[in-house]
Order: sequence, then structure tokens, then C-alpha cells
Amino acid sequence: MPESPNVRLNLPNRPENVLVVRQALTGLAGVLKLDAIDTNDLNTAVTEACNNVVMHAYGGEEGPLEVDVYVLASAIAVVVRDHGVGLRVPAGASEIAGAGMGLAVIGALAGRVEFARPADGGTEVRMEFALPRGVTLEPVGEDGECGGPGGPVTTELSSTVEVRLAPSPLARAILPRVLSALAARAHFSMDRISDVQLVADVLAANADQSFDGSHLAVGVTIAPRNLELRIGPLQAGRGESLMVAAADGLAPVIDRLADAKRVAPTGSGETLELRLVDQRGA
Amino acid sequence: MPTVAANPPSTRGTTPAKADDSRTLFRRWQRDRDAGAREALVRQYAPLARGLARRYGRSSEPFEDLVQVASLGLLKALDRYDVDRGHPFASFAVPTILGEMRRYFRDSGWAVHVPRGAQERALKVRDAQERLSNERGRAPTVNQLAEYLEFDIEEVVDALQAIQAYDTLSLDAPRPRADGELVAYGDTVGHDDERYELVELDATVTAVLGHIQPRERDILRMRFVEDLTQTEIAERVGISQMQVSRLLRRTLEQLRTLAHAS
Repeated sequence: MPESPNVRLNLPNRPENVLVVRQALTGLAGVLKLDAIDTNDLNTAVTEACNNVVMHAYGGEEGPLEVDVYVLASAIAVVVRDHGVGLRVPAGASEIAGAGMGLAVIGALAGRVEFARPADGGTEVRMEFALPRGVTLEPVGEDGECGGPGGPVTTELSSTVEVRLAPSPLARAILPRVLSALAARAHFSMDRISDVQLVADVLAANADQSFDGSHLAVGVTIAPRNLELRIGPLQAGRGESLMVAAADGLAPVIDRLADAKRVAPTGSGETLELRLVDQRGA
Repeated sequence: MPTVAANPPSTRGTTPAKADDSRTLFRRWQRDRDAGAREALVRQYAPLARGLARRYGRSSEPFEDLVQVASLGLLKALDRYDVDRGHPFASFAVPTILGEMRRYFRDSGWAVHVPRGAQERALKVRDAQERLSNERGRAPTVNQLAEYLEFDIEEVVDALQAIQAYDTLSLDAPRPRADGELVAYGDTVGHDDERYELVELDATVTAVLGHIQPRERDILRMRFVEDLTQTEIAERVGISQMQVSRLLRRTLEQLRTLAHAS
């Protein structure tokens, strides 16, 4: 079983967060060279699974929506997980409506689907989609091996979204999309969204060298015209160098574009905390 | 799922429970070729076909074409469904209808048209953004663009990414300014600006900079030294903000590559 997914998104189960998941998948599909039809299948099926969590998992309350993506040897596996009552498969229903319709769509579009109820509650929908031949991304595991919860589950909620990415071309394709989608939600102007993309590019480009362990973790909290990022854990000393990263002082992207930045010690490492504000045109 | 809206004329006045009703209708269509029964089934399941078209074809246009394809899939499912096997019709119909839409996408070259549609939307977003920036004196938000263009938020967010990929588009062409004058790059950026060249740069950086086009260098300077917004830079250089964004991303990527190599 693969240690951890290539991508993990942990989001509050709000309808608008499904867009964030779709942006991540579209970025992934680009790197994996899926054609428009396969991309549409992937997006549609995962959207159905996410919508189920949004609408049914927590009985109207807010709760976490977790999406793990594993790039396997010849398939993409996507696990959509909740910690609530999860998918209600209509028992003995003679008609497919609501959640049942979503399940039927997933069943028709994914190459393979499994439903699981982990011991700690909730529901997991595991879907596999065939990869086109010749994709060169290093797989994290064998086909059929998409795992259970790959790490500690973040229970802290509010408007915080957590993205974890294994350092790879995926990070570069996915992080800018995810952060722009969140900046758009925070009512950033197009100018400022572009700045956020530049910051995301720096973080993704430095993921392989700068980060502790095997993944880049970015926590994002949004408020109107306000985006707070927590990047870490980093190795001690890396936060500072990230801030001025990109061409030796010529364009210290993060240093110039973030409105506030701070390196906070966490355990044996540190966390880079950034705030981007859209101040113009208030 | 709505029930049959009204009893079709041929239902002999009985109103049995819905499942039985459907079963009867299937028998009457499949065995007796009763067109009225088929029509009643189509009416009953049309929302299913339409719902699937909406779920599967969000970026497909025109939407009504796809509904037609989904309806064709529904007709096939009505013919092939085996009522005696006891599975609900919908669980049989969903894959059949999705399969029909998928085949349509493949046969109609949809996979080629979709990127083109995205490209057209990206250009519309770019143009709308310039118009709104000029009118309001500040860059619009995604919501404002979506509202103005009647796109959904996702389409605008996609456009932000899509524009980055379009090297071949005529994004570099001179653009008319607000006063209608056509300006090409070079008219707007004075050569005196060379004096601005970052004074305190060391030899490595100077060497790296040698690989960067003068215009890109100017744009970097305007953003990171003069702290102009991308919209302000766009106005000065005579290109769109989205292109400024694209050039900045590309140039910074280039700088990263050069810095790693040196």
C-alpha cells in the first residue's frame, strides 16, 4: 500500500470547495496527458463523490471532505472520504435519485469502484481511472493499492483548506490552480490572483529541495481579500531562503508579493506563514 | 424522480403503483410496440437524461445538443432494458446514456473542440478584463468577470490557467489603447529606462539577466522594483494584464532554471 498519496486535499464540505477539487484534478489531468474525454470522466465522477459528501455526509453540518489522489503504475486512484454518515446508498430503491444517481454515474465512469466504511466512521469511495500509456510520472504504488487514511486527519475546520503534494511535476500543475481558485473565492482581483500564482510557482518549484520529508503541505485560510498560507514543516532555515527564492535577489517573489511573512518554529523545523491581501480597489 | 405527469391516453384509466406502472409500460413498448407506452416512458425518464447531460457535459456547448444525445441514449436503454431481471431501469439507463454521450464526444471531435472553446473563453476573459479595468480603473475580480460574461466562476478560473498555455495566440500583437491608438512595445517603454537597470546586482545575476529579453526584464523590474500592479504594467507596455501574468510566470521559471544551472 502506498505510504501517502501524491495529492491530498482536506477541505470543509462546502459546495464551493468542489471547484477547488476540480481545479486540482484538471491540473493533474494535464500532467498525466489525459485527453478531454478522460478528463471529463474523471472530473464528473469525482465531482459526484464530492457532492455526496457536501450534501449528505454531515446532515447539514459542516465536516471535512478529503480527497486523496494516487498515481499508480497504470491508473489514477482517487479516494473521496468523509467522517460523517457518508454515502447513503438507497436501500432497495426502485428508482435512482439523489445520491443513488451520483453512485450510478461513478459506477459508469470509473474503471473500478469500491465503497468502504473505515473503522473510525465515515465513508470512502475509491475510484480508479486508467492512465494512458507512456505517462512518465513515477507511480507511488501498484494498481489496486490505493490506501486508507495516509496520515493524521486534520479535524480543525473553519475556512481552512489543506493541500499536501508530493514533490513532482504535479505540485507545479496543481498548487497554482488550487491557490488561484481559493484567491478567486477570496474576491481577489485578477492582478492579485496572478501574484498568488507566482507565489504558488515558487513554492511548487522549491518543493523538492526545501521541504522536510516527502511532501509539501500548504494550509490556506481565506477571508474576503485575504489569503493566509502556512507552508511547512520546513527544515530549519528554509523559510528564509524560500522568501527570497527565484534568481538571487532579482525577483524575490514571496518577499515582494506577500503583505506579511513570518517564519515560526514548529517542532524541530519551521513554518513559513504568509499573508496576501488585495488592498487595491477596495 | 418525478412520476408520470398524467396518465397517457392509452392507460385504460388505471393508476397502479409506479413500479408496476413502469413495468407495464415497458412490456407494452417492448412486446407490443405500443408507441404511447414508449412516449410515456420517455416523458417519465426525460429528467434523468437531462440531468446526466448536465452532470457530464458541463463544458459542452450547445447544451441542447447534448440533451439530444442523452435522449437518444435513453431510447436505446428503453429498447434494451430487461424488465424481468428486476434491476431498476435507472441503474441500467445511466451507463447506457453516459456511454452514448461519450461516444458522441469521441465521434464529433469534441475532445478537439473543448480546448478550442476554452481558448475562446480565455480570450473573452482577457478582453472583458481590459474593458472592466478601463471602465472602473481597477482590475476586476473573478466574480465580476463571471457576472459580466455570464460564465460560471469555474470557466473564468480555467481561463486564468488556459491563457498561460497559449504561446501561439497573437497575445504579443500590438494592442489598441483606451484612446484607440495602436501601440507596439517600445513606443511605451522609453530607452531611458535602461538607466533604471538594477544597480546593485552582482555578476551572476547580470549574467543570468543577459538571457532575458529586454521587455521581460522591464516587466520584472516594474513589478518587483517599482511595485506597479500587473494592470499598470499592462497599460505601460501595451499588452493585456493576462499576458503580463504569463510573461512574469514564464520569465521567473526561466530565471529559476538558469539559477539552478549556474
